[in-house]
Amino acid sequence: MSTAFLETKHLRREFGALVAVDDVSVQVAEHSLHSIIGPNGAGKTTFFNLLSGTLAPTSGSVFFRGEDITSLPVYRTIHRGIGRSYQITNLFPTLSVFENVRLAVQATGRDNFRFLTPVTKFPDVLQRTSEVLEIVGLTDDAARPAGQLPHGDQRKLELGMILAPDPDVLLLDEPTAGMASNQVPELMELIASIRSQGSKTIVLVEHNMNVVMSVSDRITVMHQGQVLAEGTPGEIADDERVQEAYLGTLYDEEDS
Amino acid sequence: MTSFAPTRASLWSRYRLVAVALIAAVAFPFIVGLLSGQSPAAVLAGEAGNAKFLQGLAIEVFILALYALSYDLVLGVTGLLSFGHAMFFAVGAYASGIMLKSFGWPFWVTFIGVLVAAVVNALLFGLVLPRVKGIAFALVTLGLSSVFFIVVQSSELAKYTGADVGLQGAPVPEWIDTNVHRFRVYLITLAALTIAYLIYRAIVRAPTGAVLLANRENEERALSLGYNTFWFKLFALVVSSLTAGVAGFLWTVQQPIVTPQVAGLGWTVAALLMILIGGVGTLTGAIVGAAVFRLLEYYLERWFGGTAPVLVGASYIAIVLFLPYGIVGTWRARTVNRRQGLDRLRRLFGIRARRSQ
Ligand SMILES: Nc1ncnc2c1ncn2[C@@H]1O[C@H](COP(=O)(O)OP(=O)(O)OP(=O)(O)O)[C@@H](O)[C@H]1O
Ligand SMILES: [Mg+2]
Repeated sequence: MSTAFLETKHLRREFGALVAVDDVSVQVAEHSLHSIIGPNGAGKTTFFNLLSGTLAPTSGSVFFRGEDITSLPVYRTIHRGIGRSYQITNLFPTLSVFENVRLAVQATGRDNFRFLTPVTKFPDVLQRTSEVLEIVGLTDDAARPAGQLPHGDQRKLELGMILAPDPDVLLLDEPTAGMASNQVPELMELIASIRSQGSKTIVLVEHNMNVVMSVSDRITVMHQGQVLAEGTPGEIADDERVQEAYLGTLYDEEDS
Repeated sequence: MTSFAPTRASLWSRYRLVAVALIAAVAFPFIVGLLSGQSPAAVLAGEAGNAKFLQGLAIEVFILALYALSYDLVLGVTGLLSFGHAMFFAVGAYASGIMLKSFGWPFWVTFIGVLVAAVVNALLFGLVLPRVKGIAFALVTLGLSSVFFIVVQSSELAKYTGADVGLQGAPVPEWIDTNVHRFRVYLITLAALTIAYLIYRAIVRAPTGAVLLANRENEERALSLGYNTFWFKLFALVVSSLTAGVAGFLWTVQQPIVTPQVAGLGWTVAALLMILIGGVGTLTGAIVGAAVFRLLEYYLERWFGGTAPVLVGASYIAIVLFLPYGIVGTWRARTVNRRQGLDRLRRLFGIRARRSQ
C-alpha cells in the first residue's frame, strides 16, 4: 500500500455544537502544491490548526510520512518538517524584523539553551537569517520593529518566518490576505518559484481563484466543514457543486 | 553578505556603563566622607557618620535592586505576571534566618541551603505554569505567596519565624557584620548586584533570552516556531528565584529583624513599582527604580514626616503619567512628552483633555 506524504483520516473538530471540520480525509502527495479552497467559514484555518497541532481534533487522525502525528504538540511539528504560516499576521511586534526571522531560524537549531553567549556569536544562524530576508525582500527593513511594517511587508515577513527553518511541508494560510492587489503577484511569484524548485510540499489556502487554478496540482474544496470536491484544477473548474457552493445556492437548498 | 547583525563591540564599549557606575559607587562613601570631614581611613574603619549611614541606605538599595531585577526578568522580559514574587524574596530571607538561628548551620552551608530552597520554590511556581496563563497565573501565584505569608506568621512556628513580630537575632559571622564592617558589606552587596546584572544582560542577549522576549511578545507564535515555551519560562523562574533568594539572604544578613512584611503582597507591589519607575524590561531600570523607590521614601519621610506617604504616592503617579516607559525606557526613547503627561493627569481628575495637535 502506498502511503501519502501527508494525510488526514476522518478528521473532525467540533466547537460546541458547530462542526468546523467534518470527516475530512485528504491526501497530499510529496512535492506537490495542494490547494484548499472554500467559502468563508468553511473550516480551512481550523483544518490547518489540526494539521499543525495548534488544536487537537475531536476525532480522526493526521499522518505524516506514514507516522501518526495527530497528538504531536504544536511546538514539535516544525521539528518534523512541517511549517505553518498564519492568515492573521502573527509576529513579535516590538522585536526587529531581523530578530523575528532569527528566532524562526534559531528554533530548529541546538543552541536554544545557550544562555550566556550572545546571539551574535552564532554565525550560521545570522547567515541564514540574512539569506531569508534577502529571499522575501526585507533586507532593508531588517532593523525596524516588525509591528511598524506596512501590512504587505508583514505578510512577507510571515512567509520568511516559515521559510527560515527550511521545512519540507509549508502550510500557507492565505499568504496574501489583506495585501494590496499590486503586491500580490510578487508574493505569488515567490511561492511559485519555491514550488518550481521541487523540494517542498505546499498546502495552500487561497481565495484568489485565478491564482489557485494556475498554481495548484490538486485542489480540495471545503464547504461547511466537509470536503465538497477534490481533483485537478481542470476538474474543479468544471464541477457544478463547487460553482454552486461559491454562489451560495447550496446553503439555501440544504437549509430549506 | 548584507547583514544587520550587530558588530562585535569592543570590551570597553560593552562594559563602559558598568565600569563607570562601579567606580562611582566605590568612590561614593569616600567622597561623602571627605565632604563631611571624615578621612578615608575613618570611612574604611566604619566610624559613625554620614558616610556610614549613607552606605547603609545604599546597601538596602542594592538588595532591593537585586530583588527588582529578579522581577523584571519574570515580568518585563518573559511576560509572566506573577503576584507572588515576594515569596521568592521571603523564602530566601526566612530560610537563611532559620538555618542560621534555629538549625545553627554555618554561614556558607546556609547560603547553599538558600539556593536550594530558591530552586525548589521556583519549581513550585513552575508546577502551575502549564495549567494557568495570564491573569490566572497571577492569581495562583498570589495564592501561593499568601499561604506562605500566613504560615510565617502562625504562632505554631513562632519558634522559627518569630510569627508576626518577625525573625530576630540570626547569628551572622563577624566578618560580614554590617555594624562593624560597613564598607565590606557595601562592597559585597554591590558585587552581588553587579554580577546579577551582568548575568541578566548576557541572558537577554543570548539565544535563551531571545526566546523569553519572544514569549512575552507572542507566546502562541513562539510555540508554533518550535519552542516549548514551558522550559524557557521555568528557566526564567529559576534564575529569578535564585536572584531574589540571594537578595533575601543578604537582607537577613544585614537587617536586625526580618518582618513578615517581606512576604506580603505589598512587597510584590514594591517590586512592580520599582520596575515601573525604572522601565519595565530594561534591567537597568530595575536598579534605577530601586534607588528612586528607596530614596524617595526615605527622604520624603525625613523632610515631611507624616505627610510623606501622600507625597510618595503622588510622586509615583507623576512618574507613571509623565514617564510611561519608566526612567530608563523614556531615556532610551528620548521623548518626554509633557503635554501628554498633563493630559493624562487631567483625565485622571475627569477633566477633558486639551486636544493635542
Ligand atoms: N476557536 C474557535 N472557537 C469557536 N469557533 C471557531 C473557532 N475557530 C473557528 N471557529 C468556527 O469554525 C468555523 C470555521 O472557521 P475557519 O476559521 O476554520 O474557516 P475558514 O475556512 O478558515 O474561513 P476564512 O476563509 O474566513 O478564513 C467558523 O464558523 C468559525 O466561526
Ligand atoms: Mg481561514
